[in-house]
Amino acid sequence: MDGIHDMGGMHGFGAVPRGEHEEAVFHQPWEGRIFAIAFVVESIVPGANVDAGRHAIERIDPAAYLAASYYERWLRSVESLITDAGVCSDEDIDLRVAALRTKAADV
Amino acid sequence: MGAFPPEAVEAVVFGGSTARRPADGMTPRFAVGDGVVARNIQPAGHTRLPRYARGKPGVVARVQGVFVFPDSNAMGEGEAPQYLYAVRFEARALWGLDAGPRDALYLDLWDSYLDPL
Repeated sequence: MDGIHDMGGMHGFGAVPRGEHEEAVFHQPWEGRIFAIAFVVESIVPGANVDAGRHAIERIDPAAYLAASYYERWLRSVESLITDAGVCSDEDIDLRVAALRTKAADV
Repeated sequence: MGAFPPEAVEAVVFGGSTARRPADGMTPRFAVGDGVVARNIQPAGHTRLPRYARGKPGVVARVQGVFVFPDSNAMGEGEAPQYLYAVRFEARALWGLDAGPRDALYLDLWDSYLDPL
């Protein structure tokens, strides 16, 4: 699809950082968890696979896509894959997030 | 839904998984050195053909083998494996005369993305 993800040749994003090979694989623990979750979801959820996961990233709202970090895009992709498959609904995810927020606020 | 048993983790993480598939009698349409043109397609679904390469000429640099076709696999239309080629595009063919005269870009492109030059 001709989406915001297809950025090759676009101007305005600044220089490409060099020396990335010395960077941590995951900047935060949650990034590693999302990587692992995406791996499992793309392996076992009906209709999900590595290409469907990539396409789910491409379907993120363009403004949200630009604002999101790399693994935030993976998270949104996983949410699309599991809601598309009927594993759970968007409402289920929202409820769970709200519950976790409440729990975090209690601690 | 399938299962992803713990004992499968190590094999996949350290052994990797591959999108390569058997040729099953398919033969490549292009050979190394063949001139090709990336098709000017605008699919609504997934594709691995970037916009900047569409309609541009290149040369087959390597026949990679047969691989899952992401455009169909992403859309739930099956793996539909086909030949994949590394295609060399001169930077100036993609970006115009502002690009370096000796720069080039290699894209791995599936058979469905290509026409003969």
